[in-house]
Amino acid sequence: MSSSTRDEVLRHLQTVGQLQPALHYQTHAPAPTEIDHSLFRAYTRTPHDVGGEYDISIPYHEKEEEVWELNTFATCECLAWRGVWTAEERRRKQNVDVGQTVYLGMPYYGRWLMTAARILVDKQYCTLTELHNKIVELRERVAAGKGLGEYLPPKNS
Amino acid sequence: MSHKPEWDRTHHAKVATGIGDPQCFKGMAGTPKFKEGDRVRIKDLPDLFYTRTMTYTRGATGTIVKLVYESPAAEDEAFGNEDDPEWFYSIVFSQKDLWPEYSDTYSNDTLETEIPERYLEKA
Repeated sequence: MSSSTRDEVLRHLQTVGQLQPALHYQTHAPAPTEIDHSLFRAYTRTPHDVGGEYDISIPYHEKEEEVWELNTFATCECLAWRGVWTAEERRRKQNVDVGQTVYLGMPYYGRWLMTAARILVDKQYCTLTELHNKIVELRERVAAGKGLGEYLPPKNS
Repeated sequence: MSHKPEWDRTHHAKVATGIGDPQCFKGMAGTPKFKEGDRVRIKDLPDLFYTRTMTYTRGATGTIVKLVYESPAAEDEAFGNEDDPEWFYSIVFSQKDLWPEYSDTYSNDTLETEIPERYLEKA
């Protein structure tokens, strides 16, 4: 095991540690009696994009869409046209199933892209093993200086 | 022999192609329980696993302005269940009824949103 992998793993564990304490007191392995109704409802709440969240004010930034974001959107729409999912299944997976921390912490189209991969595994269009093997293949290609592959621009026909 | 379960993965596309969604559910929800102008209160139904009925509308009273379409509720559609469409209503709330701290300066502000029939009770 190379030391750069260990560095990444340990850095990852530290980062995850920073994400965990959403409730700012000791919460691990509670007795059932410690979870009252308010806490139960808070834990099982479904993160969503329908607004009304309590938060501090967030500065509004105008951001132009990047090519990978547009491609992600097109990919997800194609999955809908081919009957792989409905918009509601997509929203459930990208908003709720990822959990509150990921919902708030990951970029918008990052969640779309992760969810497109997830639905293919969940509905058995590919196996998780195939997906993992592809990620390893791409990592090795990048490490060898060959880039991620050829980008094919959309055809205008 | 494959051990994968088999089901029709393109079912929704077959139903909706050329018609549209939610148009493909037209006529499947039966007689609507409410009509335009009705005052309704939003029930605080369970929100376990999935809902799109905003938390901030629950328990509040609003006015139906339109019957918008028939569709499976989000709670069903989010898991691929499309056999039980119901009516969706567009409902207008006063912002002051939704947010206790909403400024009196903007007391005429309203919010309009779509909610399925199961959440509504006569106010």
